[in-house]
Amino acid sequence: MKNFNEFIQKFNSFYQNKAGLTRKYKQQYQIVTGRDELLGILNWCKQNSFYHLANITCVDWIEDEEFELVYNLWSYEFKVGCLFKIRIPRAKPWAPTAFELWGQAQVYEQEIHEFFGVYFPGNPDLSSLFLHNWHDLPPLRKDFDPLEYSRQAYTVEGLGVKPEYEPEVEPEDNSEGRKS
Amino acid sequence: MYLPDGYTTLTKRAPKDDREVYDLFFGPNHPGMHGNFGYVLEMEGTQIVRVRPNAGMLHRGFEKSMENKRWVQNLSLIPRVCVPDPDPNEVAYCQAVEAIMGIEAPRRARYIRSVVLELSRLGSFLMGMGGVGGALGHYSIMYLMMESRDRILDLFEELTGGRVYHIYNIPGGVRRDIPPGWKQKVLDLVDHLEKRLPEYDRLLYENPVVHTRLQGLAPLSAEEAITSGIVGPNLRASGVKADVRVDAPYAAYDEIEVNIECSGGGDALARAVQVRMDYLEAIRIIRRLLAKIPDGDFKLDLGNLMKLKVPAGDAYSKVESSKGEFGYYVVSNGGMKPYRVSVRGPSLPAGLYLCHKHLPGMKIDDVAVWMATLAICPPDIDR
Repeated sequence: MKNFNEFIQKFNSFYQNKAGLTRKYKQQYQIVTGRDELLGILNWCKQNSFYHLANITCVDWIEDEEFELVYNLWSYEFKVGCLFKIRIPRAKPWAPTAFELWGQAQVYEQEIHEFFGVYFPGNPDLSSLFLHNWHDLPPLRKDFDPLEYSRQAYTVEGLGVKPEYEPEVEPEDNSEGRKS
Repeated sequence: MYLPDGYTTLTKRAPKDDREVYDLFFGPNHPGMHGNFGYVLEMEGTQIVRVRPNAGMLHRGFEKSMENKRWVQNLSLIPRVCVPDPDPNEVAYCQAVEAIMGIEAPRRARYIRSVVLELSRLGSFLMGMGGVGGALGHYSIMYLMMESRDRILDLFEELTGGRVYHIYNIPGGVRRDIPPGWKQKVLDLVDHLEKRLPEYDRLLYENPVVHTRLQGLAPLSAEEAITSGIVGPNLRASGVKADVRVDAPYAAYDEIEVNIECSGGGDALARAVQVRMDYLEAIRIIRRLLAKIPDGDFKLDLGNLMKLKVPAGDAYSKVESSKGEFGYYVVSNGGMKPYRVSVRGPSLPAGLYLCHKHLPGMKIDDVAVWMATLAICPPDIDR
């Protein structure tokens, strides 16, 4: 493909009804599509010079009851970036893995699984990467309250532990006032 | 404790039994490890069989914390994402906010940002080159580099009040203008740094020990580098002429000549040499920037920044840090705090993914060198 205009034309002719390609600002474009078309379009983009996957990230739209997965691609040939967005239901979140296309997608998906609870069937390793022995909600979800978690996990009241030693504090006798 | 002949407490294996594998914790308490990160290496003798990255010890939940702080308050948090090279974080975040707001910093502010970014790059490169020396046992290189880096930190202190973390960039520009005489001090400093390069060359780049250790270590082809998400000097060392400053210019780089060169080769030696080439280019870029720095405002008047409201939208902004593409994906729902901030650190693909390809088969001695030449910085993995 010679230039990005040709890419846009071919993209629109192939995926007109399935995905929308729009310009955001400067060299940044975005493609919004659905879960079913995700891998097909990602693969087509990779075949057509979007070789670099900068990262994959997730946004929790709790009021819409959806997660948004954002695949951040860059073309070294066209000098154009593309944010590739899909929305998935928050109740049973899953998306196909992009591990077969970009090896490092495995780690980004592992991270999203850990912090948002999104499943990626086909990803070879979704074990915990950063949070060891974590039993609460995935922490980057909007309904996870870090302050409440800290109260439960780190305070004496939250843990329900009685301190081994409680100092006996006697009230100071200030009835005489300050001694000169 | 009784041990039969040939056993040691570490290996727990007999000399002829070469199939037994033991775990070795490389980090967090290891002099060759950069930061609170570790690899659990499954070793067979001194050779690595498998590797398990042991991340999370440095995780401070920055992305979650940013959702609970106001737009400008986050600026005190984000430089901590990359300790040796903090300014790309500030600039990438501010540029993302500016892109959502549809504003652009004044020209003078963009020049000042570029100078600050290049100084930060020099400081990080000095630490990186010193790290290669340290990993090879040449500690005097590290000491010399630290001495030079300290001079850069002095100038940062004069400009921003902070030595390591500057918190200097704000949405719409920079916090304060450059003080009188600072420009000349920067020019004197870069002259000094350039004069010291022959000494660094003698110690590091012309050192036969360094060549022997680095040559052929962990080669990375151009195709593998691109598809693995490797960026910056490491990508250029594999022969790919790519640089965010040229490909997607930001700050003042669209008005300044940036000559990117590739060392090629793709091995650890090529990566180390690439850093030296980029270091020299950064010195030249600073001279070009300071020669052209315009007069004018250094920030936009956005009112009380603590009450800053950013319209709903999202933007991905990236900056060429000393390790490559440092990006911030920022989402706003129109409020006084970010809805979501996601950090794209340049170290993650190498530190957590490429390690599975490169480390198996490698000797234990080379792990620290491999990390140093790939500039793996754990704070941007755990953020």
